[in-house]
Amino acid sequence: MKLGTATAGAALLATALTISACGSAEGPTRGGGTAGKPAAGGGKVAIDFPRADSDFWNSYTKYVPEMAKELGVDLMPPTNSQNDVAKLVANTQALVGQGAEVVVMAPQDTGAIASTLASLETKNIPVVSVDTRPDKGKVFMVVRADNKAYGTKACEFLGEKLGGKGKVVQLMGALSSINGRDRAEAFGSCMKERFPGITVFEEPTEWEGTKAASMLQTRLEQHPDIKGVYMHAGGVHLAPTLQVLKAKGLILPPEDPKHVFVISNDGIPQEFEAIRKGEIDATVSQPADLYAKYALFYAKAAAEGKTFQPGPTDHDSTIIQLPNGLEDQLPAPLVTRENVDDPKLWGNQVK
Amino acid sequence: MSTQTSPKLVTTAAVPAGRGPRLGRFRDLTLVPVIVVLLVAGSFVDPIFLTPGNLTNVLQQQSALALVVLAEALILIAGKFDLSLESTVGMAPAVGVMLVIPAAAGGFGLELPGILAIPLCLLVGGLVGAFNGFLIMRFQLSAFIVTLAMMIVVHGLQLGLTQGKSLFELPESFLYLGSATWLGVPAAIWITGALFAAGITALGYFRAGRSLYAIGGNADAARAAGIRVERVVWTVFVIGGVIAALAGVLETGRLGGISANQGVGWIFMAFAAAVIGGVSMDGGKGTILGALTGVLVIGLVENILTLKGVPGEWKQLVYGSIILVALMISRLAGGKAQD
Repeated sequence: MKLGTATAGAALLATALTISACGSAEGPTRGGGTAGKPAAGGGKVAIDFPRADSDFWNSYTKYVPEMAKELGVDLMPPTNSQNDVAKLVANTQALVGQGAEVVVMAPQDTGAIASTLASLETKNIPVVSVDTRPDKGKVFMVVRADNKAYGTKACEFLGEKLGGKGKVVQLMGALSSINGRDRAEAFGSCMKERFPGITVFEEPTEWEGTKAASMLQTRLEQHPDIKGVYMHAGGVHLAPTLQVLKAKGLILPPEDPKHVFVISNDGIPQEFEAIRKGEIDATVSQPADLYAKYALFYAKAAAEGKTFQPGPTDHDSTIIQLPNGLEDQLPAPLVTRENVDDPKLWGNQVK
Repeated sequence: MSTQTSPKLVTTAAVPAGRGPRLGRFRDLTLVPVIVVLLVAGSFVDPIFLTPGNLTNVLQQQSALALVVLAEALILIAGKFDLSLESTVGMAPAVGVMLVIPAAAGGFGLELPGILAIPLCLLVGGLVGAFNGFLIMRFQLSAFIVTLAMMIVVHGLQLGLTQGKSLFELPESFLYLGSATWLGVPAAIWITGALFAAGITALGYFRAGRSLYAIGGNADAARAAGIRVERVVWTVFVIGGVIAALAGVLETGRLGGISANQGVGWIFMAFAAAVIGGVSMDGGKGTILGALTGVLVIGLVENILTLKGVPGEWKQLVYGSIILVALMISRLAGGKAQD
């Protein structure tokens, strides 16, 4: 009886949430013009944000309306799928119902989005996928930085700094996400091939700071001679890592023989601050601004019926051919003490 | 209610007369054999395991979760439920900090004195507990649904207020409790230890504490016996909220920042720890000491898996399986049916 009430209540609550989610997806109705004449000089672009709880994605979310204005994109009120592929599917349906002609999304689950992509294809609605590459289903363009290159850059940096020997810790993101997997695999295989003298400890932190802190602390207790740390995401791993190193008295200048080399990933302002203070050594800047800009650029191009070919682009990137579409691999610069004040880095543009 | 109480009476009566009275005193410690097994297994996995440094780390890493378990155990013993504790772990420190840091660092712009951050954080935790208590005791709503909704609401409040950003620039005073060391042992361990000692004493020897068992076992009987059920349970919810907020303070100090996901998913760990520690989901049974042994088991398992370097893909499977085995060992050792 107790359980029955509980289940019924949970179901009710879930329904209520779904209804409210749909409600928010509808947004205000737009005044005249676009609704009556589809595809006249760039149609309505719908965008779904993948989550609201990460520093990187919040920066991206902030760039989108600015870039839309700059590029003259007719952007519909954005939706947010809260890192849940079921919500993304529902949001996409709602957006299509409202007359979206191009959909920009960032599916964090790259497998479960396949049937949605298939149904969008039958409706002739092009899809731009940001940050992740769907495993199956047609995409007009994937806009992401080469995550394998992140892992390789981090490996090269640590390998050279350590002179090819020693122990490093890799704080990994969730292995169920393609980005965590790509970074981990590239880092691991580069270390194995190019720096076989370095031992890598892989810590599955699931993008969680609390796990990262515990694992790093335990590993340092076990191997006090660890000399390097690669963090998959500055947003979640930076503060815990610094706190653990501080407690161990390991925040030391690079010249000190006991210095632990730390390389991060993301390029948020807090990482730059830590580089300036000498607390960490480097980060790979994942271009939140370019993600927003080129997502909308390709969305607009798709609405205008333009097509693209594999090969180098005019913005220092390369378009590669995928079995299910194209991918524009944006550059992701390595940021160290030397170039941390470069005003072109997006982390220096946000407050 | 009556169908629930009668089988209990039967089981109590059916305890074998030979073993019952002697072992009965220790049945809340059925996890002790499990802990011994883990300590032995751990020392084989890595020589570093049994060093004071590593064991101190385990205790420090688990101190925040332990406090949530303490809060949950109190509420479970009183026969209620609180799922929203995990959200309080993130939201209360976030709000407390945002009231004191400047707007440029993500605050509200009020810039109250930094020393107030912790008291404000505890106050926020207490208010969440009070609101839960209000809805459950006065409005007579189901504790499960109320706190499920509150879990979403409280976490949503944190996301909304912080706009999903992590808070990095925190006042030093706020980080102190979670990162300081007193007499060679992290302050978090002292604080958690002291609160558990207080909980064990209160529930073991004081009238107000004992009344939780009476209420959890049979609220109507407790009321008939003159216990102010509503007031006591309400107080327990408020205390639970405050303890969860304190857990958030310790966790923040350990991590050096408040991420938007702080505390998310903890409640399952808290329930697992409380239940394997012998606290009944139906109320009225279990001890705080038992809940503490549950936390220790979870902390030791996590530590051993990390030391062993179990691959990420398999870790959850191994982790869940070990908890199941721990449950079985404690069942065999305690000889008491789980409920």
